[in-house]
Amino acid sequence: MTPLRVIFHLSTPIALGYPWISFDSLLAHVKLKEELGERYYSLPSKTPVREISEIKLESGEIPLKKWRDLYVASVSLFEPSNVETYVFNYFKRGDFPFPRGRIRRGSGFFKDFYLKVVYVPARRVVFYATGEVEEVRRLVSRVHALGKERNIGFGFVKRVEVEEVEEEWGLVKDGVAMRPIPVEYLSYYEDAAYMAYKPPYWSSKNIKLCAVPFTRVVLK
Amino acid sequence: MSASREWLEKWREYFLAWYDEGGVEDKANEAAEFSAEYLDEGVVSVSGGKDSMVMLHIIVNKCRRDINVFHWDHGPALMPRPVESEILRNIFRVASGARRIIVKRFAKGFTERARAEWRDWYAAFFSTLRSLNYKYHLLGVRAEESSRRSARGRVVARRHWVEVHPVYYFTWRDVWAYVFKHNVPVPSVYFKYARLLGWDRVRLVTFFDREFEKYGSPQVDSVLMWRYKHTSP
Repeated sequence: MTPLRVIFHLSTPIALGYPWISFDSLLAHVKLKEELGERYYSLPSKTPVREISEIKLESGEIPLKKWRDLYVASVSLFEPSNVETYVFNYFKRGDFPFPRGRIRRGSGFFKDFYLKVVYVPARRVVFYATGEVEEVRRLVSRVHALGKERNIGFGFVKRVEVEEVEEEWGLVKDGVAMRPIPVEYLSYYEDAAYMAYKPPYWSSKNIKLCAVPFTRVVLK
Repeated sequence: MSASREWLEKWREYFLAWYDEGGVEDKANEAAEFSAEYLDEGVVSVSGGKDSMVMLHIIVNKCRRDINVFHWDHGPALMPRPVESEILRNIFRVASGARRIIVKRFAKGFTERARAEWRDWYAAFFSTLRSLNYKYHLLGVRAEESSRRSARGRVVARRHWVEVHPVYYFTWRDVWAYVFKHNVPVPSVYFKYARLLGWDRVRLVTFFDREFEKYGSPQVDSVLMWRYKHTSP
């Protein structure tokens, strides 16, 4: 396992559904998509959430080092770092042929959605992690876009670089947490909030009181 | 001066200019005059948002102080506690001479289920309103907000009470102009959202509420209010 820096060079702004993107979840997403193929997009919506969270990756674990039950993988750092956030408003309409006659667009099946999404016009997204270089390189090469609303052009990846670095910065860098870390694994933390700390990040099972990324911490 | 401070100062200047140009003082006087007859048998319902706070400020300062005030607390899942504390502080500050300030809390608002199950919310809210037993409910509804509200009218007879909308003809500019002119306290979260969404679009509603998914609001909340996305498990 090698300490790595992964740099995604973007050609379009990145849309967010949370202030950060987690590198371990990105790799888990790519692996799961490889494994399930088209089935990835047709998971039955009625499936209880706990069953989906228990899907095991047959091709092995995510190629990242683990520390306790955490992956040594940071959340995203946007470059330039002083970039501001903006909002994009758009209509989302059903992508299907509309029937003849009157239809209701205010509610029901044909309802229009007037959405807004927060985006960051970042040029690069950087992650730190410790993992198997070749496998990480292979997986990140399959990421064509990052963040949310990729289908309408956000977060397109121009190229991605995976570099080896001297130190392990996936958990802590210069005394600062690089990802959510449960407070029970820390002897000191500056700030804490309830956050998901391991994939799948949408599962309520993975929520704990965690040190907030980019605040000062000391590991136990 | 920091960029955000500079941004706020620039807008403050704009809204203060609008106060005179838009005749906001006259509109406020008219709203006060209109409200006066409903106060004896009525209650001023205040969410803590800018519209209801402006309405409350107008009534207290231009009509009378001994009024009845009602505030509904949505609970921690829908309204983060720091925002709710600020709202309560603001209400008690503006309505310090009130005859009665009633604060009721949504009992099921402690779990994240409250964000998706609206039936319980509506049932609890409307039964609470009914139990207050006031003839008139004065609300900070404005015609400009939506076509439905515009069609609703300034006085609406409901089954068990009558809805009265004193600031019905205020525009978003008028409301912000009044806020800045009279230093009406509003939750600071407004400025965070206004910077991103614009002063015309910023509204204080429940956070992470699936009801507003069709407007993309929970997605914006997840970025700006990420700290409150998950309640304690």
